[in-house]
Amino acid sequence: MGISIAVHSSKGGSGKTSFSINLAFAYTSAGKSVCLLDADFKAPSLFNYMFPDSDRWLNDVLDGKCDIMDAIVEVADDTVAPGKLYVGYCNPDIDAVREMSGKDRKWQSKALQNIMGVKKKLFSSGIDVLIIDTGPGVDFTSVNAIAAADYVIMVTKPARSHQKYMEQIIDGIYIPLGKDYGVIMNKCHDNKPIAIPGLVDPDIPVVASIPCLCDIATRSDSEVLTVADPEHPFSKAVFTVVRTIEDCLSNK
Amino acid sequence: MTIDDSNEEIVNLLKEISGKLDRILMQGTSTKESDEGIFDVLDVMTLLTLPDHLRATATALFELGSATAEDLAEKTHKERAVESNYLNQLVRMGHVVKGRSGRKVYFSIGEGLGK
Repeated sequence: MGISIAVHSSKGGSGKTSFSINLAFAYTSAGKSVCLLDADFKAPSLFNYMFPDSDRWLNDVLDGKCDIMDAIVEVADDTVAPGKLYVGYCNPDIDAVREMSGKDRKWQSKALQNIMGVKKKLFSSGIDVLIIDTGPGVDFTSVNAIAAADYVIMVTKPARSHQKYMEQIIDGIYIPLGKDYGVIMNKCHDNKPIAIPGLVDPDIPVVASIPCLCDIATRSDSEVLTVADPEHPFSKAVFTVVRTIEDCLSNK
Repeated sequence: MTIDDSNEEIVNLLKEISGKLDRILMQGTSTKESDEGIFDVLDVMTLLTLPDHLRATATALFELGSATAEDLAEKTHKERAVESNYLNQLVRMGHVVKGRSGRKVYFSIGEGLGK
């Protein structure tokens, strides 16, 4: 049976998408078969246009009109070896984004059931790890992805607004849904970014801290740091997260 | 105080009372909606408002798709009779539907009885 991971954040601009891409490659470098999905339906990233195009969308999968296996494309690239990587996108067309924003609760309930079906289908087709790059904050699409995940990664940065809301999301969404979760402190300026007085509840599990380095942003559009530079602090943090998730889920 | 001043004060007081009545009426309407909402479809936000025991059962049912009380009990590590009770509570709330296949009773997420 595979594992599903939702990469989430309390607010936008925390570095979720870069983290998701690098996490996917950390798993493929260990020989895993990975499916990476862009589920930020209101602001699609298309993973920075780094991977092959697709003309089928996750929107249609959640709508029950398309099989997940038809909506993902393989990234056939040497950097993926020894594992395999498949990616799926949500539709970036503004009409599709508008349509998703207007879906009612009955549709969202069905969409959650379809996401659960996607998980089963992918795992039975040989996928080891499903990574869902969600939208930020609390809305149906992000919380549906969280509900379907075995582990939730909250990517945040050391700003009071990000962290206060993060605590609410943990208490109001992750814990009631019974999720295992870990926090990544991204874009940190402090030498000891984990210990920012008064900002983070000491009970919140901070799995890794990533310093704010300009090359993470400049290099991330064209290369995957976990592959190109495994000793980079960003890459090291990603590999730490992989080990933490493995430890957490193997103890269950 | 002149008659004009008195009239103005009375008008202001009437406006204040009218505003309060509007707010009371609004509260009455929203209470009615939440009573009816118990028959709503079970989406993830409604799931979060359920009591812990029902939320655990409903979440497991979302994962399994269609399941017997025994399947649920295996997943949640509770007694079959306990899960059966919780599932039937969810059926009465309109969140879950049940159907028979041979001698087995299967439960699945419903489409709600209300809006």
